[in-house]
Amino acid sequence: MADILQKIASKLYEGEDEEVAELVQQALDSGLTPKEILQDGLIAGMDQVGKDFKAGDLFVPEVLIAARAMHAGMNVLRPLLAASDSPTVGKYVIGTVKGDLHDIGKNLVKMMLEGAGFETVDLGTDVAPEAFVRAVQEHKPRIVGMSALLTTTMVNMKSTIDALQEAGLRDSVKIMVGGAPVTAAFAQQIGADAYAPDAATAVDVARKLA
Amino acid sequence: MSEQVPIETLHPTIRMLSDEQIQAIHNTSLDILSRTGIVMKNEKARRLLLDAGAWESDGRIKIPEHLVMSAIGSAPSRIPMYNRLGELTMPLEGGNVFFGSGSDCVFTIDVETGRRRKATYDDVYRIARLTDGLDEMDFVMSMSNPSDVPPMDVYIHGFVGMIRGSVKPNVYTANHRGDMEDIYRIACAVAGSEQRLRERPFLMLYAESISPLLYPDESVDKLLFCAEKGIPVTYPPSPNTGGGGPITLAGALALGNAECLVGLVLTQLVRPGTPFLYGMNTAALDMRSAIVSYGAPEWPTGMAAWCDIARYYGLPVWGAAGATDSKVVDAQAGLEAAISIMTAFLTRCNLVHDVGYIEYGSTSSMEMLVIADEIIRDVRFIMNGVEVSERTLAREAIHRATPGGGFLADEHTLRNWKWAQFRPRVMDRSRYDEWAERGAKDMAARANERARRILAEHDVPPLPEAAEEEIRAVLRRRAGK
Ligand code: B12
Repeated sequence: MADILQKIASKLYEGEDEEVAELVQQALDSGLTPKEILQDGLIAGMDQVGKDFKAGDLFVPEVLIAARAMHAGMNVLRPLLAASDSPTVGKYVIGTVKGDLHDIGKNLVKMMLEGAGFETVDLGTDVAPEAFVRAVQEHKPRIVGMSALLTTTMVNMKSTIDALQEAGLRDSVKIMVGGAPVTAAFAQQIGADAYAPDAATAVDVARKLA
Repeated sequence: MSEQVPIETLHPTIRMLSDEQIQAIHNTSLDILSRTGIVMKNEKARRLLLDAGAWESDGRIKIPEHLVMSAIGSAPSRIPMYNRLGELTMPLEGGNVFFGSGSDCVFTIDVETGRRRKATYDDVYRIARLTDGLDEMDFVMSMSNPSDVPPMDVYIHGFVGMIRGSVKPNVYTANHRGDMEDIYRIACAVAGSEQRLRERPFLMLYAESISPLLYPDESVDKLLFCAEKGIPVTYPPSPNTGGGGPITLAGALALGNAECLVGLVLTQLVRPGTPFLYGMNTAALDMRSAIVSYGAPEWPTGMAAWCDIARYYGLPVWGAAGATDSKVVDAQAGLEAAISIMTAFLTRCNLVHDVGYIEYGSTSSMEMLVIADEIIRDVRFIMNGVEVSERTLAREAIHRATPGGGFLADEHTLRNWKWAQFRPRVMDRSRYDEWAERGAKDMAARANERARRILAEHDVPPLPEAAEEEIRAVLRRRAGK
């Protein structure tokens, strides 16, 4: 039994999307629950990917290919997962702050979060504080992530936190910030809950917050 | 013997692309423009393109070949750049190669404490002054986004810091048209008048589209501003391999070429003859760290390739060198800078920026600038080639020499040593004991000393009072006073 879960994890690690989908189906047919398959197969595999990426043994494309295999498995599982064992670790709203058009880093963070089982809502770039507020009202995420790559735009992280505060939503979410000019000290100074210097750390931090 | 025609000295060059390769990349770029199309967020530019013969389909603007070719035809083949005193110091043309710093770093390495910290206005000014004092540096860029000024005024203070700190031509950045107008006002005051600025431009805008194929409103607006005024602009996209561009260099070049040509077309539609510097940036998105690498060999390889394309079009060309991904000034920094500087020379890139960047463009370093200055001097020696003439063949000196005796005290040595040999300034060739006695300093420590010495001793002529007045007026207006 556990054999097949291990196989799912290792095929996922290798990025074999079709095989992962087939194995997930086989596991279901053999009587394993969707939740078991998710936790001990797919997520277990992705965890290993995350660990090895952080250690420098895996490269970004390998992580993305593994994430694709994760999605292939999820496509089989999703219709069967009851609301209670919701497929996601939590909802994560992410965007690049107002005035800033850099999104390569933000996109990578998003992809890694999805790989780790988060359901993400991507607001894109040049996202005004009001747009973050609206997204929080609409999607009720666990975490809001903001990206800024410019000295001139990182101040808009503070404006966004202020806007959430004013809308009475600040305490309903955890706020993470990141991007080249952002530091842990700055995060603390503007009242964010956490900072991460890169995508792999972002996943670890998000898991702790979620 | 009567006077003979001298033997010409060969100065080494490289070619990265064959004619056939250039043609294939050019053709692909034309396909990208006419079949794939671009997304144009600036309404004025959209109208310009459509009125000139571009069309819209699938939500994209498609640009036909004839627009591109006529823009290449009307763009100047050379951009003579002046210093702010009105002297021609940087003719961007032919095989000329000019080096300068980079823009907008977040951090700097404090030259006094060695600590990495957020950059301030004073850093822009001081690094500009250092750059002014370095012989091999031909132009300045801001090197910092000052963190101690109001965020909306960052680019104004960046510009002011540069022109106060250096007389050398500058390449500046800006946020939007409002910044452009204020910078232009200050520049006119420096030059004396609008006409004088157009005749002797000492500044060039650096703006960029977003690869792939996206043209943001404000970025295009800045480009149009330069064309309206007829002042120099460069608009290099960054199809970084695996990030903004395909993972393969040929694809990145085809995309970057197409994207850059759109900028060219726009400037030439607004004002034929607008000085436009062609180029792009092909850094690599490193697949392990996910940083955009400034030390990767993809960049110089790409640079040599787009310099070949620029020559095919007959346009002056932009590039980058002298930067590193290293967090400190170490062997990696020297290695990455040397390789890129050598390539920039060999490919005859006209304007080479980013010299002195460390930490993949996040941090500026005065030590790195000083070391790169030394590397440039060193590589320039190689580029000078081997003069072959009666004075260098040393026929008579060889004839005179005692077999096994050497040339140290020969008249030929004493007469020619000064120009014939390279003399380093920062690199150390002293004997062990002397080196130890002088504190056993490594290259970074010596570069630090040289930087501090130049800062202490180098004088820069002040701005004309009219310019200082204009700066005060601009900042007053911005503060709402
Ligand atoms: C690529 C790039 C661009 C591209 C962006 C394309 C795109 N689609 O994103 C283009 C060419 C368009 C561009 C434009 C500009 N850029 Co730019 N750009 C870069 C560059 C080279 C790389 C950034 C990048 O993508 N890195 C790769 C990604 C994967 O890394 P990352 O973004 O750092 O993200 C990681 C972490 O920061 C973190 N992270 C990021 N976001 C988040 C969010 C959360 C919630 C968390 C937890 C973590 C996290 O995790 C990510 C993954 O590991 C940097 C220099 C550099 N080497 O870093 C300059 C840089 C950021 N740009 C800079 C500048 C100045 C500009 C311009 C203003 C230039 C100009 N004058 O036009 C414009 C601004 C346009 C605008 N309004 O936004 C400066 C910023 C300086 C400063 N002090 O603010 C830099 C540092 C370069 C420099 N020294 O000049 N740029």
